[in-house]
Amino acid sequence: MNIWKISLRNFRFKPLYTFLGILTLSVSIALLVGIQQLDKSFRGQLDNNLGEIDMVVGAKGSPLQLVLASVLHIDNPTGNIPFEEAKGLMKNPMIQKAVPISYGDNFKGYRIVGTTDDFATLYSASITHGRSMEKPMEVVLGASVAEKLGLRIGDTFQSSHGLIEKGAHTHEEPLTVVGIYNTTHKVLDRLIVTGLETIWEVHHHEEEHKEEHQEEGEEEHEQEITSLLVSFRNPIALLTVPRSINENTNMQAALPKFELERLYQFTGVGVKTITWIAYAILVISCITIFISLYRMVRDRAFDLALMRSYGANRFQLAKMVLYEGVLMAGTAFLMGILLSQIGVFFIFEMIADQYKQTMPLQLKYQEVLQTGVLVLSMVLLSIALAIYPLIKMNISKILSHEK
Amino acid sequence: MVRTSNLKFEYDKKSEQFRFPDISLDASQNLLILGKSGIGKTTLLHLLAGLLPPMDGSIEIDGVPIHTLSNRQLDRFRGQNIGIVFQNNHAIQSLTVIENLEARLFFAQKTISQTVIKDLLEHLDISDCKNKKIRELSEGQLQRLGIAMAMVHHPQIIFADEPTSSLDDDNCTKVMQLLIEQAEMNSANLIVITHDQRIKPLFTKTLAL
Repeated sequence: MNIWKISLRNFRFKPLYTFLGILTLSVSIALLVGIQQLDKSFRGQLDNNLGEIDMVVGAKGSPLQLVLASVLHIDNPTGNIPFEEAKGLMKNPMIQKAVPISYGDNFKGYRIVGTTDDFATLYSASITHGRSMEKPMEVVLGASVAEKLGLRIGDTFQSSHGLIEKGAHTHEEPLTVVGIYNTTHKVLDRLIVTGLETIWEVHHHEEEHKEEHQEEGEEEHEQEITSLLVSFRNPIALLTVPRSINENTNMQAALPKFELERLYQFTGVGVKTITWIAYAILVISCITIFISLYRMVRDRAFDLALMRSYGANRFQLAKMVLYEGVLMAGTAFLMGILLSQIGVFFIFEMIADQYKQTMPLQLKYQEVLQTGVLVLSMVLLSIALAIYPLIKMNISKILSHEK
Repeated sequence: MVRTSNLKFEYDKKSEQFRFPDISLDASQNLLILGKSGIGKTTLLHLLAGLLPPMDGSIEIDGVPIHTLSNRQLDRFRGQNIGIVFQNNHAIQSLTVIENLEARLFFAQKTISQTVIKDLLEHLDISDCKNKKIRELSEGQLQRLGIAMAMVHHPQIIFADEPTSSLDDDNCTKVMQLLIEQAEMNSANLIVITHDQRIKPLFTKTLAL
């Protein structure tokens, strides 16, 4: 027999009160941890998706749209730019790497990106099965695409025009899978990568068909790309290069980091609101814990006075209430973490389903620690408030008012 | 062994001051304190048991002047040397019978001996319900448990506050026999506080308030 054992018995004596206190506290912990984790994961995921991309060059239009389309691959492109003009930029000595990408088609909702081998290096990806694309009409699949569509090396499929799965019309030339990338948890996982020529060829053929019906072809077909993904040698370039492109060419340069920061400012409001709601619930649940401890002290005043008559000192009784509170808070904390992980898991599943983007489920201890310290100090405060009447207790008075 | 002199107590300035006659008990001597309600019987018991500090006067138990002890020392002294049989509430609600006795020994800082507990429960005829929760016990069983709680740590003095007021004649005799017998076995002083005239013949020494 010791104080812990008595606390444990008290803890289980009135399970409903105990359970209510634990439930509200664990829900608020789950919200706090879950929101933080989701916020960090989303930001991490977006930052992660930038890879080594410092700047995007594309057609004039909304810079955010350009970033969303060409870097995160979730929006429509702003238009096309001439490949020749983009090539001119690549000569700039401040530019370390410039990867052209070209859009236009999808297969079952997965975007087909025409680009070069350098594209994969932006995401430090490597090919786990097969080889890189060498000829037009050869494609390498991102890990999620291969998994979800069940495609293997050597399989062929026909792409559809456009970026969303509506199947307006299907291109005739089949694409052949020649390789599959490793899982990167980046945007590459949900892309189908092919050579620039594939895109040009597919659309060129289409236009030839049309031209047959028309009088004659206009001038020689100019090669176009959707955008150019650029990484700089030196951060100073961030200040000069985009401005010169925007001022001197018909193209637009956007800085993904800057644009995404702007995006967070919009989404941040929602995150803040939910965080404040979670704090409100935390306060309420601490009050619940305080009430249940206070009730325990008051309802069992006689038991506590009895213990004093058995020789227990104030310190021992305070310890008993403290242990009981810590037991409640500890249980609530574990339950809260568990709840948040289940919640986050399902949200990630939903995202993986809807946005075709997988994210690694990981919980950083710093985030948990921060919430843990906050919850612990709130709980300790309510325990202290509940213990106070215990210290002031008049044993004789309680014992002489036996009911 | 109990000695008091000039014991005085008042709850607050407005209320009436209690003055108690001096008590002097030798080892193993029993005492019956008789008096009507409101005369300060329970106050006297709490003073003697170290639950309430006296306003004036001295209380000596086994040579220890308990009115001079610090809170901490008093808690310890009470746990080890004093056993109290309460009128109604006899044990901690959230614990079982056996856990209550263990807790009693724990707070008294005495070794928790299962044989002592088992013997006591058997002697009081409640070993059947040793794993029951307090609210599952009958009145009679509760009363016996109350006696067990006051005895298990072998105290120097056993106090009983109105132990028989709600009992019929038969049970009254039984409970008093148990109390006297247990006090004897522990060579402890038994001090009973009551207004119940039925138990007067069982005591050689009485004090009327």
